[in-house]
Amino acid sequence: MSNLVVQGYGDSHVGAVRDTNEDALIVDPKWGLYAVLDGMGGASAGDIAATKARDVVHEYVRARRSTLAPRQLLDAAINAASAAVHGEAQRRRDRRGMGTTVVACLIDGRRATIAHVGDSRAYLLRDGRLHRLTNDHTIVAELVARGAIAADEADRHAYKNVLSRNLGAKATAAVDLNEVELQAGDRLLLCSDGLYGYAASQALHQLMGAPDQAADVVRDLIDAALRGGGGDNVTAIVIDAGTQAMPRATAILRTSGAGAWWARRDRVLHAARAHGIHRSPLCAVLPPDDAIALVAGNFADAIYHDLEKSASVNVWTFAENLAVGWLGQGGAWAPLRELLDGLGRAADAVVAELRGEDVGLAGLIEAALARAMVTAETAVGGVLAQQLRTVEAELVRHAAERAKRDAEITSRFTDQPTVPFMRAAQPTDAPGPEVQHVLDGARRRALGRPAATNDRELFMRAIEHAHRVATAATDADATVAARELFDVRALDEAGVTPLYDALDAARAAHVDAVRAVPGGVGGKLAALRRAAGAYQRLSSTIAALVVESVAPTAEQLREAAAATAALRAQVTKNERKVASLERKFATIIDDDLPAGMRFDLGLDRKRAEPPPVPRRRPSKETLR
Amino acid sequence: MTELGERVAVLRDEVLDVVAGGREDAPGEAIFEAIVRTLSAGLDTALGLDLTLHDAVSRRLAWGDTEQAILDDADRVFERLARAAQRALRDADEEMLVLEAAADVVCSTARILALSALGRASRDRAATLREELAQRRLREALDEQARNLRRLEDEVAQSDFE
Repeated sequence: MSNLVVQGYGDSHVGAVRDTNEDALIVDPKWGLYAVLDGMGGASAGDIAATKARDVVHEYVRARRSTLAPRQLLDAAINAASAAVHGEAQRRRDRRGMGTTVVACLIDGRRATIAHVGDSRAYLLRDGRLHRLTNDHTIVAELVARGAIAADEADRHAYKNVLSRNLGAKATAAVDLNEVELQAGDRLLLCSDGLYGYAASQALHQLMGAPDQAADVVRDLIDAALRGGGGDNVTAIVIDAGTQAMPRATAILRTSGAGAWWARRDRVLHAARAHGIHRSPLCAVLPPDDAIALVAGNFADAIYHDLEKSASVNVWTFAENLAVGWLGQGGAWAPLRELLDGLGRAADAVVAELRGEDVGLAGLIEAALARAMVTAETAVGGVLAQQLRTVEAELVRHAAERAKRDAEITSRFTDQPTVPFMRAAQPTDAPGPEVQHVLDGARRRALGRPAATNDRELFMRAIEHAHRVATAATDADATVAARELFDVRALDEAGVTPLYDALDAARAAHVDAVRAVPGGVGGKLAALRRAAGAYQRLSSTIAALVVESVAPTAEQLREAAAATAALRAQVTKNERKVASLERKFATIIDDDLPAGMRFDLGLDRKRAEPPPVPRRRPSKETLR
Repeated sequence: MTELGERVAVLRDEVLDVVAGGREDAPGEAIFEAIVRTLSAGLDTALGLDLTLHDAVSRRLAWGDTEQAILDDADRVFERLARAAQRALRDADEEMLVLEAAADVVCSTARILALSALGRASRDRAATLREELAQRRLREALDEQARNLRRLEDEVAQSDFE
């Protein structure tokens, strides 16, 4: 089997945020050695660690290339580098703790040996699929490998960037090694975390798959990371095994195709206007010309650049930015989908025009556009999936916090009466622009409708307050609105019934108005959900307000009943006392009166009552 | 029962948060049933005239449940039904009907409870007035008793025949 022609190219960029570049790289085709190192440690020590390790590895491989097998050679070279960095860190106090990652590739004939320590990575593109060859040496990756946490938790973990291995922490390093048997057309990528951390994995895949020279691919990869924020130093090495003949169709698209598209850029904008792109809810805040220039113009530019590079990364970025901006502010999926469909139809119109001039070229562009639209939808799908993950994590966190808060409240306020209109505010989501648009329209329409109640002023106030609650961001607005709507009102049926009549009439008018507002069904449904919820909260809060307001009457009744009972007890006690005195007085009279007179005084009955009164004459002291 | 009413009725366990075939008198049961009734009647009933709902609310109050507890149940049924309908119903118009019916019933429940609380307060005020009248009569009786006591004590004191 013959050897492959291997060509590699690497480059490094300081990034968009940092002042110094602590990455280092080796590109040595003569010895088949390629490596990326990412230094760490304060006061420029990261830079020193990476440079030192790079020099030691490079020198070690050059010196022993002919005497050691690739696996042993890379293992020994990296250990030597670790010892050197560790020794340097021990000698200088200001360099304590410095270290570096490394991912190195040594190519020997068709065999590529990959060695790595830390979180710099190696990828292999084969048959259009991108495979990752290394596992990050981070705390989180090891927790995932041990099953301690789920893979989808890794991105959110507090220690996601903390390395479990590096060069320099110790004099020796545990190096992971593997080998790949290269095939013609394979493409290897070595990179630091500044690349894969800021460029989307789909962008890496797209750019690695482009039929460009390694140097161009490296440039595009670094560009993608910088557009993704460039928060770290970015280093990439691309190694091509064998040569890839560019397909003829690709070559045509890159030249004539891209040129023909660019020449019709204005036609794309015109077709986009004809398809009503500027009327999309996504463009609601922009004047029509600006909307067309921004949305359709960026779409046309992205298609052009992708045709020029035979990639889809620009369309991907365009669609992803659109989705993040729109869905991030609570926009619905349907308008975004309609906008992308509209752009696709505008592009189709241009292709149809081109078909009259060059059928073959039009067919190639049509196929490229179909791929681009699929890429755009995949990008939007990725954003939606990310949002779902975020919402799920937020729900889990919120549920845990709420359970904890409820437990605290229950333990502190058990059996304590609560005042419902003083409850703590619960945050709710603010409506997205489309829903807000529908709610505003519904409010205007509802206010213009005849009131199905005698009190039109109260009817209109009910609509205004419900609108305020429906568009509010916290639950507290419902309680405040209910109190304002309740106003000063007699606490009886004649006072409260008109309020509920007005609320019912306002709700009926408001719901009809939401249905009548022009717009998408999704937006109307979301608006109706909020409007119905607003009336439900207003009605319930007013009822709670009434219940709390009349609570003192029950308390007053309890107090009055208790006072009555106390008085009644006092009367009973006095009655007994009077009876007792009367009995005593009767005894005195009875003993002193002659026989026959007792009946006239009516005292015989009292004498017969138990207990029998002692039949003796009381002394004065006893009576006192 | 209309088709939509039937499809909402199967959401009962989810909305009331009970196991299938479990509690028959779950909190919020009456509210949920009233919503299903409203949907079955095609939203044509006059608001607040669901006498079954009135009876159910009155029964719960008679059993000693507070107005606030019933209001909380109604709110919970509304929120859970809104979520369940969003998940279970594919047709936006149907979901709108369910939301409308749920809002109707919950607002009617709030009205019933508010008026019930006012009625109770009115009865309490009348009872308080009766108590105050009784207190006045009792105080008069106490005054009378005090006078009698004083008279008796004087008479007993004067009847010393030693």
